[in-house]
Amino acid sequence: MTESIDHDLKVSHTKDEASRQGFVAGMRGYVLNNLSGHMKTVWDRKVEPAFEKANGRLPEDGPEVHKTFKPETIFKFYSAMRCNTQEMVWRSVMPAVEREGADLSRRAQVLSQAGDKAEGTVETNPNFQVPRYVSELDVHMMPGNYHEERIDYDVTQGAVFDNGLSVFSFGLLGDRMEDITESVSTFFQARYPDEQPKKILDLGCTLGHSTLPWKARYPDAEIHGVDVGGPCVRYAHARAQSYGVTAHFHQVDAEHTDFEDESFDVVYSCMFLHEVPLKNIKGVFKEAHRLLKPGGVMLHYELPPNSMTSPYDGFYLDWDSYYNKEPFYKAFRDADAKAEIEEAGFKKDSFFEHVAPSRNLYGTDALMDAARQDGAKNDSRVGRFGDGVMWYFFGARK
Amino acid sequence: MADHSVNPESTPLRYSVKGKRMRFFGAQGVDELVAICMGLAQEMWVIKERQAALESVAAEKGVVLPDDVEGHTFTDEQSAALDAEKQGFIDRIFFTLREEAESLAAEPEEEPPAPSLP
Repeated sequence: MTESIDHDLKVSHTKDEASRQGFVAGMRGYVLNNLSGHMKTVWDRKVEPAFEKANGRLPEDGPEVHKTFKPETIFKFYSAMRCNTQEMVWRSVMPAVEREGADLSRRAQVLSQAGDKAEGTVETNPNFQVPRYVSELDVHMMPGNYHEERIDYDVTQGAVFDNGLSVFSFGLLGDRMEDITESVSTFFQARYPDEQPKKILDLGCTLGHSTLPWKARYPDAEIHGVDVGGPCVRYAHARAQSYGVTAHFHQVDAEHTDFEDESFDVVYSCMFLHEVPLKNIKGVFKEAHRLLKPGGVMLHYELPPNSMTSPYDGFYLDWDSYYNKEPFYKAFRDADAKAEIEEAGFKKDSFFEHVAPSRNLYGTDALMDAARQDGAKNDSRVGRFGDGVMWYFFGARK
Repeated sequence: MADHSVNPESTPLRYSVKGKRMRFFGAQGVDELVAICMGLAQEMWVIKERQAALESVAAEKGVVLPDDVEGHTFTDEQSAALDAEKQGFIDRIFFTLREEAESLAAEPEEEPPAPSLP
């Protein structure tokens, strides 16, 4: 299940480990498609009608759906099995990473120093203080999170995340697992053909899945990625070098970067904000505003906000906030991004939001068609990891 | 064939998720039983896949498996390797039972709480 990793940091899994990964990927498909479908049926046919009969109205929001649904057996099994599957994702890939940890570190150093295919750079800081909202958590139940380090030039947690993501996404993220940013950047380029960014920044870039597609869209642009995880930025750089893509990675906090004022044309993030507390998101928006040139664009791929989803879909998407070690997710989805962005100083009424069909699932033509339509439409497939997923993103202009 | 033996320079990873564990069932131990059942299902799948490979290889070589398997005895070396493998097999299935202890050992000082349950 790690076929989508085809760069030089690939690790070798035994046959049994690969079987375990295949099983976990299959279980995720079962839980997120089949079991979640059964759960919706129980909701529609039994629990919601009973609620309506008792209260003379339908549940008004996600928390009310959650509270009503929590005692049901199907909810308990769905939840327990999702948690277990999530943990099994990481455990299924860790033995190979553990075996090859020291060798991975050597390979990453060689790739980082080799300038034959790409000329990117990486900067880490031995005195860097990882923000406590990261250091105190195993985000989405990944033991060791993005930042833990044990050996010199440690890329272990990057490797755990890359291999785990490959199992986790059961093919939904396409080649190189870059589908989200492939889709969003292709949509962006089609929608805003006049934009010719010269410098692009990816916040919370982890392994560069969300960084490198920008280079494919805008080959002349200078591409930077920042993350608080040292193992992640080292891994991201080695991965980029292996693919022959020039990109620059830095271990810095997205709220407090050391780039110059007005030095970027686009500031982007992918699956980042929902892992950040709201007060720090405000800081990220302010920092993005500082970094952008006048007229520059900030955009974020994210889960759709609760204001856009039905009460049931709100409950379904917020599940992770309660049970998947992503505690900031709900507050982010509840927030008014437009108001927060304007408060950070972005141009009034420059807020935009779109839904990009997955390029991997629907093809480039569907993506181009969507880029010609206005606004983001409510659809239960948006942001929902499973068959037919579509990607939501929003942003504003300085 | 790739060498998957234990690497002497490997640094052990922590497999358990630190902090508060999720619980869904009222009755004590049911959450653990779900985890154990899933571990069992996973290990059974590994066996099924390996068996399918074995049967396919055997058929390609013209070996009649049932008779040969029935009469087969493992060497001492093979038995020792299987015994070692069995420990890992059991540990993976019953992982959830050591998880609480490991999580406690890696206890964060200040895990940010999930939102209050509705």
